[in-house]
Amino acid sequence: MSSPIFALDGVGVSYGKNTALARVDLTVEPGERIAIIGPSGAGKSTLIGVLNGTVAATSGEVTALGCDYRRAPAREIRKSQRRVGTIHQRFDLVEQLRTVHNVNAGRLGSWPFWKAALSLLLPRDVQRVRAALDRVGIGDKLHHRTGDLSGGEQQRVAIARVLVQDPVMILADEPVASIDPARGREIMSLLLELSAEAGVTLLACLHDVDMALGSFERVVGLRAGQIAFDKKRADLTDDEVDALYAFERATEPR
Amino acid sequence: MTTTCRWEAAESPSAAPGTPPPPAPERGTGATGRSRRRRGWALLIFAAIVVSAVAAGIGREQVIKSEGAGSLFDFFAAAASPRLDADFLALTGTAMLTTLAYAVLGTALSLVIGLIGGILTSQAWWESGVRTRRGRRLAGWGLARAVLVVPRGIHEVVWGLFFLVVFGIDPIVAVLAIGIPFGAVTAKVFSELLDETGRRPYTALVAAGSSKWSAMLYGLLPPALPDLISYGFYRFECAIRSAAILGLVGAGGLGFQLALSFQTLRYPEIWTLLFALILLSVAADYWSSLVRSARARGRQRSRDGGGVRRDPLLTASLVFGAVLIGLSSWWIGLDIAVLWSGKAWEFGIQLLSDAWPPSVGDTGFGGLLMLAGVTLAMSIVAITIAFALGAVFAVPASTPAQGRDHIERGAMARIGRTTAMLASRFVLVVLRAIPPPVWALLLLFVMYPGILPGAIALAIYTTGVLGRLMAESVDNLDARPLRAIRSTGASASKVFCYGVIPAAAPRFVAYGLYRWEVTIRETVVVGVVGAGGLGLLLQHQISAFNYAGALTTLAMLILLTLVVDITSAAIRRSVR
Ligand SMILES: Nc1ncnc2c1ncn2[C@@H]1O[C@H](COP(=O)(O)OP(=O)(O)O)[C@@H](O)[C@H]1O
Ligand SMILES: [Mg+2]
Repeated sequence: MSSPIFALDGVGVSYGKNTALARVDLTVEPGERIAIIGPSGAGKSTLIGVLNGTVAATSGEVTALGCDYRRAPAREIRKSQRRVGTIHQRFDLVEQLRTVHNVNAGRLGSWPFWKAALSLLLPRDVQRVRAALDRVGIGDKLHHRTGDLSGGEQQRVAIARVLVQDPVMILADEPVASIDPARGREIMSLLLELSAEAGVTLLACLHDVDMALGSFERVVGLRAGQIAFDKKRADLTDDEVDALYAFERATEPR
Repeated sequence: MTTTCRWEAAESPSAAPGTPPPPAPERGTGATGRSRRRRGWALLIFAAIVVSAVAAGIGREQVIKSEGAGSLFDFFAAAASPRLDADFLALTGTAMLTTLAYAVLGTALSLVIGLIGGILTSQAWWESGVRTRRGRRLAGWGLARAVLVVPRGIHEVVWGLFFLVVFGIDPIVAVLAIGIPFGAVTAKVFSELLDETGRRPYTALVAAGSSKWSAMLYGLLPPALPDLISYGFYRFECAIRSAAILGLVGAGGLGFQLALSFQTLRYPEIWTLLFALILLSVAADYWSSLVRSARARGRQRSRDGGGVRRDPLLTASLVFGAVLIGLSSWWIGLDIAVLWSGKAWEFGIQLLSDAWPPSVGDTGFGGLLMLAGVTLAMSIVAITIAFALGAVFAVPASTPAQGRDHIERGAMARIGRTTAMLASRFVLVVLRAIPPPVWALLLLFVMYPGILPGAIALAIYTTGVLGRLMAESVDNLDARPLRAIRSTGASASKVFCYGVIPAAAPRFVAYGLYRWEVTIRETVVVGVVGAGGLGLLLQHQISAFNYAGALTTLAMLILLTLVVDITSAAIRRSVR
């Protein structure tokens, strides 16, 4: 069996006195589809940040694609980061840019600076961008200003960006939180479909528990920065899920 | 046009951006503490003004030269008959284009420096990436900022004199002299604009393995760009004035011709040149304010949820600007090869080795401190006068608008109001179009050389700048409270006293203090009139090739500037 994509060993993240993550152990194998659930403030976004290298772990070991985030040279880290695509809770698109540029931004990791700069004037690799946009169903929006698109369309642009990045792993932080439920389900199934098609590993934080339980094989429950459970979907009971979202008891220190 | 306000505040070097202003030393807390602090500052300011006025010689020395009144009259009479023959007009036109070209290229250079410097001094640049340690980040950020303090503290004229020694008479002198200090200021403002821009797209790109430069290009620059450009136009407007002043010290263009005509006291020629300068200045001001108000409208629209739109005026101005850059370098025959010519480097290194180690000179350190005091007094007198006059002009110069105007709207009243607005705007633009050294030379007709003519010259010029800033801030007052007061049946003058003054006063004070920071730097340029202080000393030292002394004076000047900046920031905080 090949080595895991991510290995987190006793990872903690704290902001001053505030602890966002504590003693998190998590291993992600190639091809897995994992849902992370938990109440807001549980540390889901922080976990995603640790995985894609934007949040530094204050304790523990993080190994991503064989690269130790805390010790490897910057160049090595970037090489790993290039193979991890992230789709965020709020879109990280630049509204002022045309769609083609926002999609091409997924290639910046493999482009030299001059090519990135040139592409803003004369878009490069347009065929590839068009193919990605076609795949997510908005091939006609290639030259629209991204800010003029609807919320759902923008989310599709974000997915197209990850597609051209051609990652081995997709992280999604509440990818459908800001669009209406019907559109959300469409996008979620698109994401699942794409990951299955390309054999890309998928890890998604979800607010919508039903969606998580309906489509993912492995579910990780996060609460107050700690892993409450990490199970196969089939082994998960309703009680465990309910406990995850229950109000904190008054005796628990805040 | 609230943008101006943000920029002006941001340009002050001591107001550390990004970090929240440290809480003012609290003794009494809350409202009473604040008002006590304010009263303290008010007393201190009053005392400083009185001391400065005495130091400047008001009421002590013979300052008015009554026999010069005739010449001054002749001078103004000549305004009606400027020299307009073809030869001189051609000369004036040529000089005008040269000054314009200096301003354009200087601004262009400052934008390049500003963009790179702004990125390197932004927090976004230093804070991204998973591995960089906090200490190293802070050190890098601090160092980048510190590097920019020195070029910012040195006036364009001093840069100009330095580069004249290095390159001789060459167009590159004016371009560098404008571009470097402006670039440092611009870098500071840009870094703040970048840090105000949402950072999520940028972080997302860095997270996907992009290099920081590429991530900046795609994630941070596009949203910040319209503000950056519109700030660039504001800098251009300032660059026109600087280009004229640089001409006076020998860099060519309108300023240079002015200096020649002044030496021979040919009044009609002086007037032709002054008219040309005013024309150029008005055109630049107008263009800049068109672009900036379009940008302000754009920001308003996106705040109202109207989405981002391309601004045709901005785009057109940008294209025109690019064309101007090309034409300008052709016109002045800019050849950047001189930058790496061996001779220039030799001169430059020679100059620096002459200047090192810096020496205090025969006045001693005490003498230097004395002169610093004189410089300070000159700046305080200047800013006091400019503040009062600026406020007087600002009110009529503000735009009469719905609900904001405090004057009854009869047809006659409206015409009167509009006339007053145009007239006061015209006065203000003339005051700031003519450089302070020229005002100083004119004052010498009727005054004996000294601190006072220097201070008044600075005051006249600063009135022009300050009056405009103040008028803009009256334009930006919230109209609702004024309407509310009027709806109680209050008369126009009551609305003015209860609505306009209280709302505008803090901003006026903030602008006044900001301009004080600029004025202390500008004391250097009125040295020509024998206005004392560090500026005059510096001029003497440079013309006597005493570079070691000049370096000391310069260091003192930068120190003084820093002290003024810190004081001003402290006062502004207590006013806020
Ligand atoms: N940059 C930050 N600075 C300080 N505290 C933070 C920061 N980011 C997150 N936190 C805290 O960490 C905890 C986890 O946040 P987050 O990971 O965003 O939760 P979730 O995504 O599950 O809602 C919260 O208590 C939050 O307040
Ligand atoms: Mg979150």
